[in-house]
Amino acid sequence: MLVPLQVFWTDTPQRNANANSLVAIIPIAVAALPIYFFRKGSPQIDFHVALFLVIGSVVGAYVGARLLSRIPDRPLKVAVAVVLGLVGLKEVLWP
Amino acid sequence: MAVSWGDLVAIVGGLGAGFLSGTIGIGGGLLFVPTMPVGLRLSQAAAQGTSLVAIIPTAIVGGVTHFRRGNVLPRPALLMGGGGVVGAVIGALVAVEVPGPVLARVWGGFLVFSAYRLTVQAIRQPQRTP
Repeated sequence: MLVPLQVFWTDTPQRNANANSLVAIIPIAVAALPIYFFRKGSPQIDFHVALFLVIGSVVGAYVGARLLSRIPDRPLKVAVAVVLGLVGLKEVLWP
Repeated sequence: MAVSWGDLVAIVGGLGAGFLSGTIGIGGGLLFVPTMPVGLRLSQAAAQGTSLVAIIPTAIVGGVTHFRRGNVLPRPALLMGGGGVVGAVIGALVAVEVPGPVLARVWGGFLVFSAYRLTVQAIRQPQRTP
């Protein structure tokens, strides 16, 4: 959500918008976790799955973040549009 | 601890989601939440809670890497982070009151609209080397 808003409203280059978004997500997720935990009647977190997800995603995030500097703005924009479009369609059609 | 096929799926899925998170700047939840119920047979509620936990280390590693490479604009990132915390609190309270499918459709509509706008921008943008 933070990525398209920055690009539309403030003309932030795609690369900076993507990097900013990822940094901004850190405090948001940290704040959301206790809210989720206490508001829900029965918080459901599968720590086993989370552990294995994190093993993969941390490596992926590092490689992806290093690669970002090398991707030109336009293909990057198209890639963001494709991912947002696919996830968006999924949510609209099969909520 | 025995490692099952499901764990391997989680690692590979995490790798892909983390990669997209690092390049595209999404938290991972955008991908984790819709795919985990299918790929890992978690319930929707468990997918949300689990993805929230997985996002934090992913975003820290991706964010620090971006920062070290000079891709982060500190001021907007801080402002968005701060604003996002307030938004997260309000959002969490609203989300409890609004039916899930309605929320998903509104969110999906926003994403599709964003994808459309980004595509238009990419087409109009003059080609330039980074």
